[in-house]
Amino acid sequence: MRVSRRKFLEAGSAALLGLSIKGDRQIAGGFVNDSFQLGHKLRDRGSFPASRRVERYGVVIVGGGIAGLSAAWRLHKRGFKDFVLLEMNEQAGGNSRWGENEITPYPWAAHYVPVPGPKTTYVRELFEEFSVLINGVWEERFLCFTPQERLFLYGRWQEGIEPSIGLTANDRDQFRRLEDLIHEFRASGAFTIPMERGLSDKSGDLDRISFHQWLRNQQLDSKVLHWYMNYCCRDDYGALAADTSAWAGIHYFASREPEDKGPLTWPEGNGWIVKRLLERVGSFVKTGQVVHRINRTGKNYSVFAGEVEYKAECVIFAAPTFLAPYIVEGMAPLHDFEYSPWLTANLTLERLPSNYGTDLTWDNVVMDSPTLGYVDAMHQTLRSHIERTVWTFYWSLADGAPATNRRLLLERDWSYWKEAILHDLERVHPDIRQCVSRIDVMRFGHAMARPKPGTIFSKERRQLAIQEGRVLLANSDLSGFSIFEEAQYRGVRAAEKALDFIGRA
Amino acid sequence: MGILLFISVLLIAACGLIYELIAGTLASYLLGDSVLQFSTIIGCYLFAMGIGSAMSRYIQRGLAYRFVWIEMLLGVIGGFSSALLFLAFAYSQGFQIIMYALVVVIGVLVGLEIPILMRIVRERYHFRDVVAHVLTFDYLGALGASLLFPILLVPYLGLVRSAMLFGLINVAVALWSTFLFSKQLPATRSLRVICVLVMASLTLGFAQAKRITAAAEDNIYADEIIFARDTRYQHIVLTRFKDDIRLFLNSHLQFSSRDEYRYHEALIHPGLSAIPAPRRVLVLGGGDGLAVREILKYPQVESVTLVDLDPEMTHLFATHPMLTGLNQKSFQSPRVHITNADAFPWVDSNSESFDFIVIDFPDPTNYSLGKLYTTAFYKAVARHLSTQGLMVVQSTSPMFARDSYWCIVETLKQAGLKTYPYHVYVPSFGEWGFVIASAHDYQSPTLLPLGLRFMTVDGMPAMFQFPPDMSPMPMPPNRLNDQVLVRAYDQDWKDISH
Repeated sequence: MRVSRRKFLEAGSAALLGLSIKGDRQIAGGFVNDSFQLGHKLRDRGSFPASRRVERYGVVIVGGGIAGLSAAWRLHKRGFKDFVLLEMNEQAGGNSRWGENEITPYPWAAHYVPVPGPKTTYVRELFEEFSVLINGVWEERFLCFTPQERLFLYGRWQEGIEPSIGLTANDRDQFRRLEDLIHEFRASGAFTIPMERGLSDKSGDLDRISFHQWLRNQQLDSKVLHWYMNYCCRDDYGALAADTSAWAGIHYFASREPEDKGPLTWPEGNGWIVKRLLERVGSFVKTGQVVHRINRTGKNYSVFAGEVEYKAECVIFAAPTFLAPYIVEGMAPLHDFEYSPWLTANLTLERLPSNYGTDLTWDNVVMDSPTLGYVDAMHQTLRSHIERTVWTFYWSLADGAPATNRRLLLERDWSYWKEAILHDLERVHPDIRQCVSRIDVMRFGHAMARPKPGTIFSKERRQLAIQEGRVLLANSDLSGFSIFEEAQYRGVRAAEKALDFIGRA
Repeated sequence: MGILLFISVLLIAACGLIYELIAGTLASYLLGDSVLQFSTIIGCYLFAMGIGSAMSRYIQRGLAYRFVWIEMLLGVIGGFSSALLFLAFAYSQGFQIIMYALVVVIGVLVGLEIPILMRIVRERYHFRDVVAHVLTFDYLGALGASLLFPILLVPYLGLVRSAMLFGLINVAVALWSTFLFSKQLPATRSLRVICVLVMASLTLGFAQAKRITAAAEDNIYADEIIFARDTRYQHIVLTRFKDDIRLFLNSHLQFSSRDEYRYHEALIHPGLSAIPAPRRVLVLGGGDGLAVREILKYPQVESVTLVDLDPEMTHLFATHPMLTGLNQKSFQSPRVHITNADAFPWVDSNSESFDFIVIDFPDPTNYSLGKLYTTAFYKAVARHLSTQGLMVVQSTSPMFARDSYWCIVETLKQAGLKTYPYHVYVPSFGEWGFVIASAHDYQSPTLLPLGLRFMTVDGMPAMFQFPPDMSPMPMPPNRLNDQVLVRAYDQDWKDISH
């Protein structure tokens, strides 16, 4: 290599400058859409204004995430229009909320749906309606483009997230053995989506131990395999394998049999589905409505939010179930529900890092990082040339007690998280600070249900999941874990039950 | 005087080795195969030194005078050797002859200097000491030079200036010797004046080294590169060699002006001539205007819409005199409408219909370009076809990238189109492939525009026949979510180059 003296001096002075001042781009941003205060007010039984007027509906849906919107979609589709949906936040969508800037729409949390198998009938029905599934063929534009996933390990990127380079014969053997075991579980039919359909007491033992313990019991101790298993649990459950029920860990792998190269994804993630749902039922949705009490008044139920008392024959409670005991009169406190705290961030990039590579990859994961990596919102663009983009950065605070991590989420300011994110990304993209112009951070104290051992076969969970009476619980957490398909299933089922009831009445 | 004398020995030894190293390095840089270059140069050099040593016996008188001249000559020849070799490579056909001649001359001179020097000083010391000291400093000088050369000289000075610097040192030794051996010299003054003049010219050469290398490099590369620019989208390079103009995008050859007519006639006429009354034509890609040139040969065509990503590319081919000569000012025609846009979103958002659509993108070398070769893209394009409409796709080489070619054919089929694959020989590309695709049956034309240089009606049937080494391969279609084409293309070219 030929190094000119000038270059040498330049490099030297740049290094000196780097030591004295940070020659970085100014990075703007802040926390967005925090709902801590509202949640804490409910928890602390704060005082809410008295209602001033009464509105009457056949059905009131509480919560505008996927479960609530799916209930609304079902009611509407069945021709039932006498309902209202009350959402606490200013934006409906729950974990499928999205944002948008001048570059692209981007997700705030859930960003894909695996290609649904034949048993996931409601999701298929929804996707047929949205022209995602046309005459049995999945629309190519909504399937994740090539290249899909990559993993950074040993100083380089490999295609796919399951480690495939640098494996010993023993590692390979263990991955193969695990695959064989998963294959058997899949064939047993006990691990389905929706989970309720296949749930069998025969696999109850698996819920008593952690996934980590189960792997150990199978003599699966490869470090790389454990990294991957932990990654999957952190990604889907916000928990380490040691804090995840073995049943749930196995379900992650055994429940899906992809029929096409997926998953389904959109620039705004599952926000795209929310948009389509809102096109149909948006006029029934009221946002910024904090429901603080639900009680029985004579024949009906009263739902109190703001100045209005909504009287309904039936209530679909699609908000997270942990809120229910604070709102629904007479409901016992919960014991078996735990939630994982998360942090997501959207980073606006004015240019790609210099070592990025030619093609945008959808999901980018770094081995041994505490975070889950980043997803490129421009990945599903049809354009051949892009300059600016938005990365959605995912971080489930899985290590440690959820309550401790929730406190951490609340206590630290935005610059703390900004620095943590940049430090994490600098490991793979040293010039990331020169690329990013904005980092917006969203904090989720209770992002998703955590299927710790005992959750799946918990009596409490199974009892609440039955959807009896006229306050129908519908959140995905009743499945023990929060995925789109479960939320949609429970929402649709609740709508069907509500219609049954109203039809009877 | 002793130590100063031996320092001279050290310096001239270093100079001699440096010239040898420079010749070896330059030859390796310019010709490659460093083992061969260094071996032959060292061999020649040592052999020439032997000749020099042998010749020294014929020098009988005026030893000191001749020594000063040898040092001066070495300084001039060695000092300018590197610059001379650069220029020889750039401007002459005889680089190797000049190089070996230089090596031999320098070798002979270096071979002369030590025996002569030893004879000059033999009266002052014991023969035993002379041999020991001179050879010790000779080898020390060689060590110094061999360490300095790679560590300091090449990185910081470069080859041209290193040679000049050591030329200066050589002449300095000559000047120095006029003082050391003043008693043995007849006319020191004139010798000193010559030394100073030579040193001045070497100093000037040292200062101007950049211009010398630039002049040489211009002739090695730049005369062929007539245009080079990094646009927002790509790296455009135009080269010229005699009457051959070539366009490279991101280092991939796009056309050679000597045979591009074969490519562009084959791209346009089998399709366009088969359409009864083509009025509206769409070209996707093709920012060089050469496909448009062929399309404008049809007077019935009322409008040609060209969609190309890069405004600098279309601007270049609309204005550069050499290039407008090639595309016959096709971009200046009132029938032509240029839009600079990304093709897939443009196709998606536009609703016009066209009788003929030309898809002429760079080969699918990456996934971003690969999107423009997918079922999703072809379906979107097909929506723009009029009832009589046809489209044609440049589809890489069915010979060198056989899997890729048939993958594109399969992709068009899976997009619901009937396909008519054909190929043509373009010397600068090799065997090249195209596919006509349409919703209806295609009949090859019975009439072609006048004035074509390659295509004939009679020659057309053969283009649609594929010999066994290019015959169809079973390939899956290329989809956005499973871009098999980019992987196949990568593999195809790897198979050829390894």
